[in-house]
Amino acid sequence: MSTELESLIHRYLDGTISADEMTQLNARLLADAEARRELAELLNLDSAIAATAAGWVSEKMEPRVAGIAPRALIAFPAAVRWLAAAACVALLAGGGWWWRTQRVFATVVKDAGVEELSHGAKLRGETHELKAGTVELVTARGVRVVIEAPAEFRFESAQRLRMVRGRLAADVPPAAKGFTVVTPSGDAVDLGTRFGVDVPASGAAEIHVFQGEVIAKASGGKTKQSLRGGDAVTMDQGASAARELRSSAFIQPGEMPGLTAGLAAGQRARSDAALAALKNDPSLIALLDFESGDLQPGVFRTVQGRWPGSRAPEFVSIGDHLKLDVGADRAWPQLTLAAWVRLDRLGAPYQSLVHTDGWSRNNPGQVHWMVTRLTTMRLALSGNTLAASVGERDGFPDSRTPVLPEQGRWVHLTTVYDSTRRTVRFHLNGEFDKETELSTAHPARLGPAQMGNWDRSDRKLSGRIDELLLLGRAMSDDEVRALFAAGNPYR
Amino acid sequence: MTPDEHQRHNLFLRSFTAQEPAIRAFVRRLVPTRADADDVMQEVSVVLWEKFDSFREGADFRAWAFGVARFEVLAWMRDKGRDRLVLDEEVVTRLAEETAQDEPRLERQREALEQCMKKVPADQRGLLMQAYQPDSRIQEVARGSGRTVPGFYQWLHRMRRILLDCIRRAMAQEALS
Repeated sequence: MSTELESLIHRYLDGTISADEMTQLNARLLADAEARRELAELLNLDSAIAATAAGWVSEKMEPRVAGIAPRALIAFPAAVRWLAAAACVALLAGGGWWWRTQRVFATVVKDAGVEELSHGAKLRGETHELKAGTVELVTARGVRVVIEAPAEFRFESAQRLRMVRGRLAADVPPAAKGFTVVTPSGDAVDLGTRFGVDVPASGAAEIHVFQGEVIAKASGGKTKQSLRGGDAVTMDQGASAARELRSSAFIQPGEMPGLTAGLAAGQRARSDAALAALKNDPSLIALLDFESGDLQPGVFRTVQGRWPGSRAPEFVSIGDHLKLDVGADRAWPQLTLAAWVRLDRLGAPYQSLVHTDGWSRNNPGQVHWMVTRLTTMRLALSGNTLAASVGERDGFPDSRTPVLPEQGRWVHLTTVYDSTRRTVRFHLNGEFDKETELSTAHPARLGPAQMGNWDRSDRKLSGRIDELLLLGRAMSDDEVRALFAAGNPYR
Repeated sequence: MTPDEHQRHNLFLRSFTAQEPAIRAFVRRLVPTRADADDVMQEVSVVLWEKFDSFREGADFRAWAFGVARFEVLAWMRDKGRDRLVLDEEVVTRLAEETAQDEPRLERQREALEQCMKKVPADQRGLLMQAYQPDSRIQEVARGSGRTVPGFYQWLHRMRRILLDCIRRAMAQEALS
């Protein structure tokens, strides 16, 4: 082959050819089958190099993500990848599509209790199933995605993630505009923003937009819908319906470092030890960790708690609740209520933590423990009255500090009631918050009750409750602090 | 989607996914740049799905897809390629015919690249990968490598030459063994 023809082809290929040269090249190609063959082979090689380079993108980006100096990026990752590619070829002997399958679409940057994927794992087009834990990925274009188990998903490209089930939060930089999450009931196309997608094991998928803009399109539906920060929709049967934003339903990238560090520090074992000790406490009324055996009756979803693979009830829809019937045999002069929760800031008047059925002055001491519209904690007992000097806004003992953070995360709530001292003491994440004095303080009465709602009117709680402790004595401040420290999933 | 449509869609996805690299390479051989090939491929994938009803099950999907792709390339050239330096329409027609015939051999060539890339020193391989990134700017890659832009293009030509020679040798060996 003449070097003159070859250099014309290279210049055509690089886009540096002149108009005269293009005329020359066309003339040669028209006249000479051998010249066409040369061109075809060089352009064929060009596609092959491009296909290889496409998989190389994330290799190049990974060191930056992991905080390693970019100096080492050229030689080493490429060598590793060639091994993977070789294995791929061996498997698919002769199949032309290994070019596609070898592309790396995303890389795992954090893993909290996930067995199936570990730090540094490369995701291509294969399906992944996560039974437990939470994983954070960065796509080839820099989208941060946190996926919480149980989940099943696969990347169709670096810009297209198919969620069969599971829950994800995505943080999409401008360079990755158009990143799309495909679910069985509809798609979310992101326009550079932060959003979450929940695909429950059964039922309709939801899209929640925290910031920016997302286009939602229900499967089979004709219309697209633009969602802005604070908007959320449920997609079902080709239609999407607006719903309230579940601000805490998604684990965001910012939460991952604390969760992985907590696991690494052995927090789960400390928590188990603390629970085992509580089970031997003679004053124990109930300790629900939702882990063993059948869950209590009610209407709720079962999702992951604060430990990988653990269980927690989640309350999502109007009417959701969990039934409880403990401590009915006697009155309790002292009562400690404690729970690990992850709740949405809904602006609803009340979210029920524990509500005994009914509320009557004829049956004094009935316990209603909740989070109020102002996101403070409240403990109300029927028939109780505040001390004259106490200035409570709504006439009930409320915590001083709002207990729900702006961005959802696990929080520990404790309220200690002592009818003998006539006090209600609130603690948030182990720290004492406020004491309210009472003038009338009946011993607490339990019995048939609901978590997450009330039997009289809807006081739906929105979110998860991972652990509930009812103890028939007043815990000291130190005990509350230790209880929080032992069960804290973060470090 | 009805269950039938769903099944049909699955069948399409399976065939298309398996043949997409071959179709892309086919298109690439007919248009000036890789970005142009991306452009045409978007159109091709949509048209393939729209016309999938006319595709007889059991027929050769790749041959059918090449036919559609060739038509789309010619349409693209008349539309977007007018003010560009592109191959003559007659050249494209002949190339399309010849390379469709020759695809099994061209496919083996693409596969042989992997072996040949291993023989390229790691630093040069990295540079080549950089130059072939979808959004790379040759000026920057050239500067980063310490070469002038014309010098860098010369280097690229040489690399492609070396790789193509290696691929041809590998295929000749394969034919002997």
